[in-house]
Amino acid sequence: MKILVTVKEVAEAEDDFEIDGLDIDERYLEYDLNEWDDYAVEEAVTIAEDGDDVEVVSVTIGPERAEETVRMALAKGVDRAIRVWDDDLESADMLDVGTKADILAAVVEEEDPDLVFSGVQANDDGFGATGVALAEVVDMEWGAVVNDLDLDAEGGVAHVHRELEGGVEELTDIELPAVLTIQTGINEPRYASLRGIRQAQRKPLDVQGLGDLGLDASVLESAVSRTAMFEPESESDVTVFEGGAEEEAGQLADLLRDKGVVEG
Amino acid sequence: MLDYVGLEADLDAEERMIRDTARDFVDETVRPDVGEHWIEGTFPTDLIEKMGDLGFYAPNLEGYGLPGVSETAYGLLMQELEACDSGLRSMASVQGALVMYPIHAFGSEEQKEEWLPKLGTGEAVGCFGLTEPEHGSDPSSMTTHAESEDDGYVLNGAKTWITNSPIADVAVVWARDRSADDSPVRGFLVETDRDGVSTNKIDEKLSLRASITGEIGLNDVYVPEENVLPEVSGMKGPLSCLTQARYGIAWGAIGAARDCFETARQYATDREQFGGPIARFQLQQQKLAEMATQITTSQLLAHRLADLKERGEMTPQHVSMAKRNNVRMARDQSRIAREMLGGNGITADYSPMRHMANLETVYTYEGTHDIHTLVLGQDLTGFAAFEQ
Ligand SMILES: Cc1cc2nc3c(=O)[nH]c(=O)nc-3n(C[C@H](O)[C@H](O)[C@H](O)COP(=O)(O)OP(=O)(O)OC[C@H]3O[C@@H](n4cnc5c(N)ncnc54)[C@H](O)[C@@H]3O)c2cc1C
Repeated sequence: MKILVTVKEVAEAEDDFEIDGLDIDERYLEYDLNEWDDYAVEEAVTIAEDGDDVEVVSVTIGPERAEETVRMALAKGVDRAIRVWDDDLESADMLDVGTKADILAAVVEEEDPDLVFSGVQANDDGFGATGVALAEVVDMEWGAVVNDLDLDAEGGVAHVHRELEGGVEELTDIELPAVLTIQTGINEPRYASLRGIRQAQRKPLDVQGLGDLGLDASVLESAVSRTAMFEPESESDVTVFEGGAEEEAGQLADLLRDKGVVEG
Repeated sequence: MLDYVGLEADLDAEERMIRDTARDFVDETVRPDVGEHWIEGTFPTDLIEKMGDLGFYAPNLEGYGLPGVSETAYGLLMQELEACDSGLRSMASVQGALVMYPIHAFGSEEQKEEWLPKLGTGEAVGCFGLTEPEHGSDPSSMTTHAESEDDGYVLNGAKTWITNSPIADVAVVWARDRSADDSPVRGFLVETDRDGVSTNKIDEKLSLRASITGEIGLNDVYVPEENVLPEVSGMKGPLSCLTQARYGIAWGAIGAARDCFETARQYATDREQFGGPIARFQLQQQKLAEMATQITTSQLLAHRLADLKERGEMTPQHVSMAKRNNVRMARDQSRIAREMLGGNGITADYSPMRHMANLETVYTYEGTHDIHTLVLGQDLTGFAAFEQ
């Protein structure tokens, strides 16, 4: 059995930052593994530890800098990694969901995994669509926002809990091969051990360009472009209640009635 | 954390990952409760196996499931642990440098196979018994002794100030072998459940409170011959362990100082008096400037020490200089950080005063500041001031 985990190195801005053109100024950014992907890696590695002959491969689309993040996944138990990047990707203004899904689909064709895990969303751009879009391109079954997974590898089916809106959960069975987008809280991600970190330096990390995947720069064409970057004006309206508990409760009740939150 | 001259920019990927992992682990699992443990005088014992799983004990050694990381990576790990609390770093130092190291360096194959894997994962806890009630700075005058009997030895004596003795499964006890010529100091692996071993706890310490300390009483304790560390005889045994541990302390102390510095810098930026942040006053800036400079020069020493150790050129005197300088630096600067926090600085809500109190122990154990001064004095002049 083979599990492919898509991982992303995300940018995190400091509390105080400056905007530079269409992006946050590089000086204020720090990079780390996307939080959701950490759970996806953990889920895959646990399955590999509990099962026989499970290979976990992780794939990222990102510059050389992202290798450290990918190595962290290797240190936690992923067997090998693929990083997709080349000059065309480097010069692209942005990679939209469609582009990423097409690139990842090429990797899926090459690797032919039984399961693909992605994070529900990325911490930085937050499109929250890559995993599902990938399933569509490669024509696999999919389950989004999975917060519990019981895999029946032999039967070729994943029993999952999916988190829906309003605290509702859906229990469903998904046939493999499938793409699951993994929600935080599904497990408790481990820390890489020092042993794992050492081993990670020797695990294969293969760099592939668009050409290696049978793609070309046309995959970068996108209907989506970034037009502006600004900090939204934050407006806040504060009402301070004063008096004893009873008076304050009365004032709050008036306010709630006033705003139409409660009737009567 | 402060890295003013960018020393950490030259770390390799593995070293950076080890630093970051240790930092995340400490931030998420230890730091939130460490003040509470310090006040209660308890060590978070659930961390012992967690740290073992991560490979925090003797990671610079190789074989027996140990990862064999670089000396710089090991130093960085000690630094991150002590940035949280000296008690946490002490746990790792004792287990790794004072217990696993001598078994690794001087033990028999059977001893290594029995103990190193268990100690490495934290399934077993070890302690190091050198100091005695009447012999601290001058351990070679120790009176704890062994007499040979029935293919083994009978041990008698008392050790005190022993980190982790009350929770240890095994003690590395240094004792004079009176059955051999000149009564050489030998190392004995003493399982603490043997008849005649007692490990009373020392309570109400005012320093290193989040660390367990105790005594080791040895009352006609029989150990078989195979419990003696075969490959070492004389004070070289315990002293070589101390060189390893002191190396970690020279790094660790910088961690405590950096944590104090960052706490003070943040506080000075946030705290407003006379209509603005106190960081705008020259007096406060002078303190931060001095603190940053002291931390940076200590860091340089530690990084150089790592290079020397990696090449096999580090001497015990080099380590004495670094332990002496860096711990004094941290001790002095923690007090300055404490003072910058005003009244809040005397609470356990902020780390500087906890570090400051801990550093009194660090200043004293593993060779007091004075003793390291004398070691350097001897090396520089050829005269040993501590010999009679
Ligand atoms: C919390 C804690 C944990 C410890 N953990 C361990 C452990 O795990 N294992 C272990 O074996 N020990 C441990 N120790 C013991 C520690 O190593 C000793 O306390 C230390 O070596 C000093 O010995 P002493 O306390 O007997 O002081 P002393 O040797 O009596 O020193 C008292 C003072 O005299 C000074 N002095 C001594 N000799 C000279 C001299 N020749 N010239 C000038 N000044 C001198 C010293 O610098 C010091 O200021 C621990 C201590 C503490 C506090």
